[in-house]
Parts: sequence; structure tokens; C-alpha cells
Amino acid sequence: MTTTTKPTRRTPQTADAPAGRDPGARPPVRRRPRADRVYLWFLLPTLVLFTLSITMPAAMGIFYSFTDSVGFGEFDFVGLNNYLVMFSDPAILSSYGFTIGVALCTVILVNVIALTLAIGLTAKIRAKTTLRTIFVMPMVVSGIIIAFVFQFIFANTVPAAAQALQLGVLEESILADPDLAWISIVLVTAWQAVPQAMLIYIAGLMTVPRDVYEASAIDGASAWKQLRSITLPLISGFVLINVIIGFKDFLGTYEIIVGLTDGGPGTSTRSVAMTIFSGFDNGDYAYQMANSTIFFLITLTIALIQLRLTRGNARI
Amino acid sequence: MSYAPPTPSRRAFLGGLAGVALAAGLSGCGTGRGAQEVSFHQSKPEAIPYFGDLVRDFNQQASGVRAVHDTSSGLSAGFARGNPPDLGCLNYNYEIVRFQERGAFSDLADLAEEARIAPSIQDLIDQYPTYPGRTSVIPYSMMAAAVLYNEEIFAEHDLSIPTTYSEFLEVCSTLEDAGVTPIYSTYADPWTVAQGLVDYSVGGSVDVAAFFEQLRAQGSDAGPDAPVSFSRTLREPLEQMLEIAAFSQPGAASRGYGDGNVAFARGEAAMYLQGPWALGEIATLNPDAQIGIFPLPMTEDPEDLKVRVNLDLALWVPEASNAQEPARDLLRYLITPEIADAYNQDNLAFGVREDAPAVEDPRLQDLQTFVDRAAFYQGVSQAIPRTIPFENYAQGMVTGQSLEATLRTLDEDWARLARR
Repeated sequence: MTTTTKPTRRTPQTADAPAGRDPGARPPVRRRPRADRVYLWFLLPTLVLFTLSITMPAAMGIFYSFTDSVGFGEFDFVGLNNYLVMFSDPAILSSYGFTIGVALCTVILVNVIALTLAIGLTAKIRAKTTLRTIFVMPMVVSGIIIAFVFQFIFANTVPAAAQALQLGVLEESILADPDLAWISIVLVTAWQAVPQAMLIYIAGLMTVPRDVYEASAIDGASAWKQLRSITLPLISGFVLINVIIGFKDFLGTYEIIVGLTDGGPGTSTRSVAMTIFSGFDNGDYAYQMANSTIFFLITLTIALIQLRLTRGNARI
Repeated sequence: MSYAPPTPSRRAFLGGLAGVALAAGLSGCGTGRGAQEVSFHQSKPEAIPYFGDLVRDFNQQASGVRAVHDTSSGLSAGFARGNPPDLGCLNYNYEIVRFQERGAFSDLADLAEEARIAPSIQDLIDQYPTYPGRTSVIPYSMMAAAVLYNEEIFAEHDLSIPTTYSEFLEVCSTLEDAGVTPIYSTYADPWTVAQGLVDYSVGGSVDVAAFFEQLRAQGSDAGPDAPVSFSRTLREPLEQMLEIAAFSQPGAASRGYGDGNVAFARGEAAMYLQGPWALGEIATLNPDAQIGIFPLPMTEDPEDLKVRVNLDLALWVPEASNAQEPARDLLRYLITPEIADAYNQDNLAFGVREDAPAVEDPRLQDLQTFVDRAAFYQGVSQAIPRTIPFENYAQGMVTGQSLEATLRTLDEDWARLARR
């Protein structure tokens, strides 16, 4: 990895180097700074928009996390008080536990299903394109609609079917069971997230050269052996990307939970995002800003890990 | 609340004259260029068409003021931006209370006098934290809620309305033995558990207002082991609540408010712990349904019977509004007896004036006597700041979580909030 990262680091250095450092041998001395300025102009709109709509609100949120503001009117500075209270607040701690647990389960489920589908859909089968289109469909439906449809399925269809088949366990809706409701959230989130991961895996599988399979087939490798020793190692970068991006996305789960359980039964399925969002309407503005600051730091860490692990990985 | 206006000094008089002259000049400008706009925030879904018509009538009558009906649901954002609505007409709940207690509303003492609010109803406002020395909110409409029951089913099984807790349990057992579901519950919607089962059970035996006054007086000393706590005071009525909840239909945990209205309208259960707001939908689903209302008895003394009320609509003018005068004009229009009474009759609500006429709707007649005697309470679920997910806790209690543990959590949440 070190050998691949070095050149990428060096390139921007030479590009940014002041014109004076260049040996006079190269004639177009003036061109370079001009080209740089053009790129700056390209950057400007995005930079302004990003600063106004993301950086500044985020900075203001962090600022308010040190106050007792309720979102309007006067406020006082309370130092780290919000943070201190937060770390002993069982409601917040349990929402972190729940969110991380659900994100982990969902990531595993999504990647297993997506990889299986991707392998199937890159094999020599009929109607490949049609099947791919069908499997991608969940991606285009809005999350809240998916959640409401599944809410109906879990609350009515599944128990009715279970009753008809006398399946005992499933006769009571799992949405109504504080110990099982999280499963419905994992299932529905996965249902929606599989297509994206699947597309990335399909792209990954297409990068694996045919000849390695042919060679291994000649050596007598079974399909399982090929999967384990050739496919998986060669698409490991894609697995990494799917796992990290997926985990980060699932941490922010919101609308699926709102539509399915709305945090219930009891408080068994309240995610961090829901807790943060409720603060604005509940007069808990500053407190939940502290919560979102911590949440931001967690996602930032994951993003940095992702950046570090994938940087310079030539296979991606 | 009333005060004698001081005799104006000559200087004040001259100042007043100048003010009048200036106002006349400005209003001249106003009529010339178009009316001054008043944003009127009213988002109770059932009442939007009604107030839409009222606003249109007001705009035809009033000169120099034009009201704009704002029916969006968010309120916090407007206050956060410093751009709140000019006149609010919303449910008086903890969302409003937190604006009120921080002095975000202007003083309406003079208009409150014109509104002639019944003292027992004014008390409801003062049961929550207010801003000292100020009339921040004027009640507009009150809703009373109790147990809805199917009169046909009761008659069929020869049941009379229970007035004590043991009679109530007897009614439930009789119905159950006869193969009729006594109560239809909708645990999937947490608010229905909180406003129905929990509020009726607690309000029927505990003095809710006094309980919260003591609780607040304890300040940050609150907690499960404090002299006044949820664990101590609410445990008994909530144990009774669980006894009552056990008479619900099977599968209540996955049924929501909509399911409940449909099932109750179809006569699938004898009782339904909902408010009059459900009556409209029930009547649409089954125009022949004969529905009556009675307060849930929680003690052995019929004298203790009380109904749950809430200020369904209350009016306020934010301090930050830059159209306070026209907003007050609109407010004055809304509280004129003809307008206010017509609204309340039309929406199955009770008037808040001292001389408000009795309800006409036959289904609400039984509640009128309780309202007249002020035998009512505001629900315990409404007196808890929303940052504590009380509705979810209520849902947890009826879906099998430990009552003791839930009350302990509630006490700890309350104490944590008091310390913040």
C-alpha cells in the first residue's frame, strides 16, 4: 500500500508548487497559475454552497451544544454540561446501542444477500438484464413508502398467514414485541439497501479476469474453492467499500423506523437519529446538538477509516 | 388580573394624540398600498376547513388587515428564525408551554378580560409553567374525553353505566363471559395508550395538577425515592390500568388508531378509550352506531368520577410578531361569542366562556354535568415535558414491560431534566 500511496501524494505537491521553483527551461511559466485559478473558479460554487448549507449549520450546532438553548430566545453557556448529562442518560446510551447493533446486523445481511445475488446475476444465466432490473427496484422506492407497506405486512399479513398455517410464534406481529421489533427494521432496511450493494458487487465481479477462473478450473478447483480463493480475495476492496459505506448509512436509519415502529414498542427501537431529531420539537435543542456532535464524530471516524483503507487501493 | 388605568398626564395625552395621528397616517398608507398581513397559525387537521372559512369572512369585514391561514405543522422553526406566526391557535400542550414559560408570548391580559374565561378553565392554563405576571395564552375551546361505549351492546347484555371500579370490572367480566370483547385497544399508536388508558386511570383517582405541583416544587431532588414521585403516586392507578387493559381484544399490540375506529364503529367491542375526536370518523363508518360516553370509574366512590379535558385550542400572540395589533384584531374577532360558540358546537367541543352555552350534541350531554361541576382534570401524559418519551413508556407498560422499572425510569428522567 505504501508504494501506491507515495506517487499520489507527490503529484499534488508538484502541481501546487510555486512557479518560481520551476527551472526556467520550461517556457509556459505563466500558464500554470492561470490554469490553477480556473480550477478555483470551478470549486467556488460548491465551496460556497457547502459552507453555507453544511459547514456553517454544523458549526452553529456545535456552538449551541455548549449552551442551554431551546432553539429560540435567550440562552446561557453551560460548558460541557450537556455532554456530561448525555453520557449518563440511559435513553441516549440505549439508542446508541440499538443503532449500532441494527447497523451491524444489517451490514452483514445486506452484504451476504447482495454478494449472492451479484454472483448469480453475473453467471451465465438467461434474462440477466431483466432480473437485474427487478432486483434493483427497491432502490427507487422512497424509504417511508417501503416502511408503511411493510408495516402493513408485518402488522396484518404475516400474523394472518401465521394464523391460517397455525404457526404459533408469528401469530402476534413482531412489530408489537419489544424484543423482536428490531428484526423487522433490519429486514426492511436490508431489503432497500441490497440493490446498491449488489450493483457495486456486480461491478466488482466484472473486474475479475476470466482467465484466472479458467486456469483454476484446469487445476481442478471446485466452484466453492473458486469463490473462496479467487473471487473473494480479488473483490476484497469492494467488500470493504460496501461494509463501510453500508455501516455508515445504516447508522443514520430514520424513516424506515418512523414508518415501522416509530421507536416502539416502548422505546425499544429508538435510533440515534430519531432521538436527535426529537430534540428540536421537544425544547431539547442544545442537548440534542451535543448528541449530534458526538454522533458526527463517530461517523467522521468511520469515514476517515474508510478513506485510509481504500486510498490507493488499485483494485477499486 | 384587572387593573385600574392611571389617569393620563397631559404629556401622555399629547403623546397619545400624536400616536393616534401617526397611526391614522400609517393606516392611510396601509389601505392605499394593500392590507397589513397577519399570519394565522392553525394546524388542527379537522378544523382547517372551518377556520379557512372564518379567515375569509374576517378578511371581507376587516379593513387594513389581511389574515393568511398558515396550516403547516412545524412551529419551532419559525420561533428559531425569529419569524413566528402573528397569531397562534393550537392545542395547549407542552410544546406551547415551553414557549410560554420563556416569555415568548405577549401579554393578552386586556383581551382575556374581554374573553371572560371561566375560572375553572383558566386554572387549566395555570396548571403548567407560565410566565409570571403575564396572560400569555387565551383558551378558546375545550375537549372532554371519557370512555366511549356502544349503547346497543350494553342494552343487549342488560348493563348499566358503571360508576365504581368494581362495577366497571364486573361489566368487563360479564361482556367477556358473553363472548363480547369488552375494550378495543390500539397499542400500536403510543398516544392512544397514553391519552386513553393511562390518563383515564390516573386522572380518575389522583389529583393530577396537585401531583405535578408537588413534583415541580421538589426541583432537582426528584427521583424514585423522593417523597413525591411517579413510582409512589402512579403505581396503584397504573396497576389498575393493567387490570383494565387485560380486557382488550387479542392482538391489540399491532392495532392502531385507524383500526380502532373501524372496529369500534362495526361493534366489534363494547368500549373504546378514546375522545370525542374519534366520533366523527366512527359516525362516517357507521352512521347508525349508538355511542355514549362515561367517565372511567377508578375508585369505589361515584363522587370521584371525573372526565379528562384538554384545551384543544388556545390563542397566543408571539412577542416577536411584528403585526401584534392586527393579530389582536383577528383574535378579538375569533373570541366574539357567536363565532366561538359556533366553532365549539360544530367541533364537539365545550366553550370556555363563563356563559358558554351547553353542548347540543346528544352524545356529549352526559359529559356536560361533569364540565359544569369542573369535575375534570388534564391528563398526566400532557403534563410531562415531551423530551421524556412518556407515550412510548405507556406503550411499554401495556405490552409487557415492567411497570415498576418504567416508573423508575420516568422518575430518573424527570430528575435528570430538573438537573439540566
